[in-house]
Amino acid sequence: MGTFKTENPGNQPVWINTNNCKACDICVSVCPTGVLGMVYDPTSTLGAMISIDYPEACIGCNECELTCPDFAIYVADRKELKAAGLSFAKLTDEAKKRQEEIVANNFMSIKQKGAK
Amino acid sequence: MAFNYDKYLRVNKMPTLWCWGCGDGVILKATIRAIEKMGWDMNEVCIVSGIGCSGRFSSYIDCNTVHTTHGRTVAYATGIKLAKPHAHVIVVAGDGDGLAIGGNHTIHGCRRNIDLNFILINNFIYGLTNSQTSPTTPRGMWTVSQKNGNIDPTFDACKLAIGSGASFVARESMTDPKKLEKILVKGFSHKGFSFLDIFSNCHINLGRKNKMVSAMDNLKWIDDITLPLKKWEALSEEEQLNIFPTGVLREVEQEEYCDMYKEIQKAAQGQRPKITQDDFEKKI
Amino acid sequence: MREVISTGNELAAKASVDAGARFFGGYPITPSSEVMHSVSDLLPKVGGTAIQMEDEIAGISAALGASMAGTKSFTATSGPGISLKAEQIGLAFIAEIPLVIVNVMRGGPSTGLPTRVSQADIGQAQYPTHGDYASITLCAGSLTECYTQTVRAFNLAEKYMTPVFMLLDETIGHMHGKADLPDIEEIEASNVNREKFHGDPADYKPYKAEMNKPAVLNPMFEGYKYHITGLHHGDEGFPTEDAQQCEFNIERLVGKINTVHLENNGLDDLPDYEEVDLEDADICIIAYGSIALGAYEAVKKLRSEGIKAGLFRPIMLWPSPINRLEEIGKKFENRIMVTELNMGQYSKEIERVIKRNDFTTLLKANGRPIAPAEMVAKVKEMI
Repeated sequence: MGTFKTENPGNQPVWINTNNCKACDICVSVCPTGVLGMVYDPTSTLGAMISIDYPEACIGCNECELTCPDFAIYVADRKELKAAGLSFAKLTDEAKKRQEEIVANNFMSIKQKGAK
Repeated sequence: MAFNYDKYLRVNKMPTLWCWGCGDGVILKATIRAIEKMGWDMNEVCIVSGIGCSGRFSSYIDCNTVHTTHGRTVAYATGIKLAKPHAHVIVVAGDGDGLAIGGNHTIHGCRRNIDLNFILINNFIYGLTNSQTSPTTPRGMWTVSQKNGNIDPTFDACKLAIGSGASFVARESMTDPKKLEKILVKGFSHKGFSFLDIFSNCHINLGRKNKMVSAMDNLKWIDDITLPLKKWEALSEEEQLNIFPTGVLREVEQEEYCDMYKEIQKAAQGQRPKITQDDFEKKI
Repeated sequence: MREVISTGNELAAKASVDAGARFFGGYPITPSSEVMHSVSDLLPKVGGTAIQMEDEIAGISAALGASMAGTKSFTATSGPGISLKAEQIGLAFIAEIPLVIVNVMRGGPSTGLPTRVSQADIGQAQYPTHGDYASITLCAGSLTECYTQTVRAFNLAEKYMTPVFMLLDETIGHMHGKADLPDIEEIEASNVNREKFHGDPADYKPYKAEMNKPAVLNPMFEGYKYHITGLHHGDEGFPTEDAQQCEFNIERLVGKINTVHLENNGLDDLPDYEEVDLEDADICIIAYGSIALGAYEAVKKLRSEGIKAGLFRPIMLWPSPINRLEEIGKKFENRIMVTELNMGQYSKEIERVIKRNDFTTLLKANGRPIAPAEMVAKVKEMI
């Protein structure tokens, strides 16, 4: 039984609910800044699980949340984040390049070794 | 705090029964966000679904929900709406549900222009029963019921809805959830039959045998066969052949059925003369 | 008491409105269309809705939708229409949606004899759709009963949360004559409305019912949000495949209907059957629907000739009045004649109940009624 995590777990730009994630890779594919990646997880049905590797690069575009079919990933409210003295990042070339690498790595986290 | 989906979902029914990466979940989410935009009281909302993967849609939203039989969604919803015209009724059906076995009800729902919001989750295949040809399966694709390739012509659901008289007809895909949410809000706001042809993916039962193994491959294919109406209109006839226009395709004000039935009630109760041809601008 | 001149079909329509029905969904079909014709004016007069849908399936679907929303609702059709509606009737059984289905019987199978009388749909009324369930079926034997039994059908549907069949046959449906009806105040005072849950919505479990008790389904849009499905479901209405739950569901669905006779309906004083001159009779004729009208005459004629005949007329066909039938079987032994307009559909039930098949049958399935003289002749053969 899945539970929701619409509450920000603590000043995060983006957070996940691994109970609901089915490892479809869609959120990883739509992230423009390489924030996300899949990691191996032998207990998951598809053998993988979503991971937030570079939260500091999140630009708050909300694409991952909107395209997630399973209510497994959430993006912070811009105003709330600002109130906490934080803000989303700007899109950088480095982040774009990282995203390309992740896509080329079949959506697996570049921190992971080997291919899916 | 992110968007509060908890408010609208039956949380203990999660995760959904749908496959990983299924567009049904994206459409579910967009529907919830559109309902929030509408500011509807969930006690006043009814969601009616049929049979197929889309049939489970109704069970996930915390409102008055009905999981009916195969293809009959519009007919059930017509009864609910006529009995309680103040209610916001959303019908969810798949391409097999709404266009094959339930095609007749779809036609006549559009014709009556009853104030229902019809979301056609069009994933081009029978998903739940494992890959049989649906009325929208593209020609030449492989299905379990046409193992030598599908020869059946493909249905343009929006043309059907326009021809049948729906006063709001739109097409969008779940590849762009922001656009999808906007078009749902437009449809929900419209008084009359809102026909929403939403392209969705089924990489499991359409994709895997048709060179679209992952959700992303299937979504890319959907992007390739859709184009916003304005851009689509600029194409040559030849170029238009294999591309579906998206956006609002028809939006007109037309008498709504529940409103007209109120006139019937008034006439029967002697509060107005019986309805005659003079009551209608368009008589035939 | 009110005296009206009307037809069976129109009386069924009038009864529905008086019973509190405010929604009709249907499709034209001979010989039941007049029910729809009548309600197309009667219902909007009282703020209700009558809609002619695009087909038989849509007719019952819309009616079920309205009933789910909380409005007393019905449909009317004939045999071919029931065949088309079969799947939705199944949903009404498993999801426990009250609905009255008027079937004005004509000759079948298939298109059969659209304008001629038959009683060949009583088997269909018992098992109209796939799966396990039990059905309540009433059969009108007079114009008055087209009214009173239709009212009763609504009350049974609401009390037991189930579809109820109201059978007329072509003869009764199109018969035009005088009928004595109970006063409207009397009808309205005894109208049954489905039970409602009034507690905290958080505690509401629509399908949490004891064995042999119906579900408690609140109307939609009143703050009790729940799920209705044609799948097997648990207490809260959500799909389940749990073996114990499914077994309980089916036993409860069948069981709640089988309590109908035990409880004597608790609704009204209407009997499940009628007996004419049966006490001192040597011979028992069993007939129902319009055929019973001929049987009254046959009993009179036989008695005038010194043959002590009597009539047993079941009104509630399903579940059949088993206890009384058993008694009749014992009392009359093989001096029973069952007459019906089919190839023996109710005769089979009698055989099942009395566990003998040595009774006489007078059957006809050619679209023509059975004349009293034919019954008299058949009874004389038995002596």
